[in-house]
Amino acid sequence: MTQATLMQAMKDSISNVLETMFFLMVQINNGNGTLKEWFSQGQALLGATLSFDGPVAGYFYFLIPVDMADDITGNFLGLSPQEINEEQRKDTVKEALNMIGGGVLSLFDQKTPFKLGIPEIIAKSRIAHNKLQDLPGDFILIETVDNRLSAGIVLN
Amino acid sequence: MAFNVLIVDDSSSMRSVIKKTIKVSGFKVGEYLEAADGKEALKVLAGAWVDLVLTDINMPNMNGLELMAEMNKDQMLRSIPVVMITTEGSEAVMQKSMEIGAKGYIKKPFMPQDIKQMLNNIMGEAEDDASDPDASDEGFDF
Repeated sequence: MTQATLMQAMKDSISNVLETMFFLMVQINNGNGTLKEWFSQGQALLGATLSFDGPVAGYFYFLIPVDMADDITGNFLGLSPQEINEEQRKDTVKEALNMIGGGVLSLFDQKTPFKLGIPEIIAKSRIAHNKLQDLPGDFILIETVDNRLSAGIVLN
Repeated sequence: MAFNVLIVDDSSSMRSVIKKTIKVSGFKVGEYLEAADGKEALKVLAGAWVDLVLTDINMPNMNGLELMAEMNKDQMLRSIPVVMITTEGSEAVMQKSMEIGAKGYIKKPFMPQDIKQMLNNIMGEAEDDASDPDASDEGFDF
């Protein structure tokens, strides 16, 4: 029940954050595909993770293709893709997850304070295409007009 | 009158977005100052005149609530209005922020008008001639 409630909150939070702050219309895919199927082989991904602690504890993660990370960074900062550097891209992806995670916990239980961690970038080796099936927890498959991303929750 | 604003957030991207949002809100800002956490913010506050602090809560080294607690210990700093801009959405955290003296609370994700309205409430209405985004010295592609 907790996991299902959190996953629904994550769907709502992702739509809210990506549309409000990054001007990105998204659709949740309700299929049962795997992350390995969802992302193309050879597609470079950028991932971030964010821990949380409280009545339930665990961490969120967010996976986004690098080219799409450039798009949302550009939308967020008002920059063209050519102006974006690695630091800005990583910082924006971490901040996106920070907002998504905060939103999930608010929707899950507004009365109870959770302790949110500091977002961190996931090592590239952990999210290589042949490692995606090893990622734990439940995840959501998200579509935009021309790209795909994903977010997940792992409970301790 | 131009205000000096200190923006405290561990995300440089978020600091940039908040800064641009204030610019298009029409407020005359004398100087934008930035800090990545509460400790850095206290150093800035020790060396510069600041009229308003906008701070995140969840930051490394010293969070926004700890920053406010430190500011409250200082006769001068405690009079500076502080607004929380944060992903923390629990009622308990909001209540604690207000109890220790925060003048406002903006939840991320925010709309530009959320910040504008908060600045209006705290610092007074922006002057009409500065409320046109075209009048600002930097474009804003929000």
